Amino acid sequence: MTESLLAQGLSLIEGKFVSQTAPEPNRIDLMLEPAQLLECTKALSAARWGYLSAITGLDHGAESGKLEALYHFCNKAAVITLRVTMPRDNPVVPSVCAIIPSATLFERELMEMFGVVCEGTPDPQRLFLPDEWPDGTYPLRKDYIVPAPPAAPEE
Amino acid sequence: MPGLQKEKFIVPIGPQHPALKEPAHFEFTVDGETVTSASVRFGYVHRGIEKGTENRNWAQAMYLLERICGICSHVHSTTFALGVEKLAKVPAPPRAQAIRQILLELERIHSHMLWVGVAAHEAGFETLFMYSWRDRETVMDILETFSGNRVNYSANVLGGVKYDLGPAQTDSIKRGLDYLEERLHYYMKIVNSDESFLRRTRGVGMMTTAQAEELGAIGPTARASNVARDLRVDSPYLLYEQFPVTIVLGSTGDLQTRFVVRIQELFESIRVIRELVNHIPGGDLTVRFPRRIPEGEVVMRTEAPRGGLFYFIKSGGGENPVRVKVRTPSLRNFMSVLVGSVGHQLADVPMILSGIDPCFSCNDRMIVVRREPGKETAS
Repeated sequence: MTESLLAQGLSLIEGKFVSQTAPEPNRIDLMLEPAQLLECTKALSAARWGYLSAITGLDHGAESGKLEALYHFCNKAAVITLRVTMPRDNPVVPSVCAIIPSATLFERELMEMFGVVCEGTPDPQRLFLPDEWPDGTYPLRKDYIVPAPPAAPEE
Repeated sequence: MPGLQKEKFIVPIGPQHPALKEPAHFEFTVDGETVTSASVRFGYVHRGIEKGTENRNWAQAMYLLERICGICSHVHSTTFALGVEKLAKVPAPPRAQAIRQILLELERIHSHMLWVGVAAHEAGFETLFMYSWRDRETVMDILETFSGNRVNYSANVLGGVKYDLGPAQTDSIKRGLDYLEERLHYYMKIVNSDESFLRRTRGVGMMTTAQAEELGAIGPTARASNVARDLRVDSPYLLYEQFPVTIVLGSTGDLQTRFVVRIQELFESIRVIRELVNHIPGGDLTVRFPRRIPEGEVVMRTEAPRGGLFYFIKSGGGENPVRVKVRTPSLRNFMSVLVGSVGHQLADVPMILSGIDPCFSCNDRMIVVRREPGKETAS
């Protein structure tokens, strides 16, 4: 069941990605160029293959200079992940909101936490971070150090 | 004045609002009393948990993640533990898995009963609110017999559980569930027959099957719209293969159906808990678990009370996780509120909102304390 779902999903986007891996029996990870993201998303959602379950941001650290966005599509037990790698100093992906409008909350989170620019996203407002949060500081990047908690008040 | 008709009128709701028990900020654009669009800001209870896991070891991270939510705490630590156990290729023993599953289903009962109360309160039905919260104490007492805690039971360790199912627990589960089952029949009768209640719920917050699929709704919210998504059935974990639950579906997709679906699910939970208690596998509660987890990435999905919970865990081979991504069901379901409220009366919005059983602590996982010279602010 899961294998056939994965095979079906894969056939929808055949040739639209760079490479693939299978990290777990129920998962396929596909590496793509940012420009291929919309095509793949369109193909999966037009065929109603599962739903976009989450967008994960990954920071591979300053040395590697790479950020990654993972678009997890889930259909029953099967998970197809579209992985887009971006340079850390200019991370831009196209917004998938025109195809999947409900992705807006995920994209807002990705933008404020990792500094990824989702080009064309309908609402670029912050979702979780407060208004007075400094611009250009992205808390889930590896080089962001959590400040020490305030000292306990003295008795 | 014709010029005025084109102007938007925005009603801000929250973050502090008498009708919402938890903080979020909504902006509803209205035309008269009718909502024409909606937007949202969260983050008022954001605590930095995802970031926090990165500088803690695997076991500490699990206890931290359990504190994402006070209602569905066990499901968070179980999902994380299952994911880490998959990475380490060291599964928990069957008895531990059974105890985890019993606790998960007990947690579902207390979560759904809490929701029945809150939703009844929003509908102005205070008696049902008080009844369901009184009866919910039964399941809280059962949970207390395991760990001494009503919430955040900390039952999991990596590679097993801490608490065994002994005669005291078995006894309190059996007696408690008999009482709850009887009460649930009564609630089912009320939500299907009480006239004033039906007026507040029938046809309100409608979501068709197509809409639910398109919005990616999950959990009871989706199942009430006849979308068969339940990870306990679709992608069984723990002992859900040997002790399965039957998926509960509704067809109309309005608030009333969500009540019926949730209560019906509780009968399923009660049935599966009884089966587990009667046929619990023997053996150890824990296995030896490594401190360092092999390099790798894992996706772990479980069915929390509010819908599918999604964890992405990445290990670099060390004692700390490299990245833990948590996508809670409430965030996935919030789109159904933003879209679903359009076209409704502003007065129906609290009911629509409570229809998805939103959990703000689940959404908000990050807060950062900022220190400026002479001034400390927590935001």
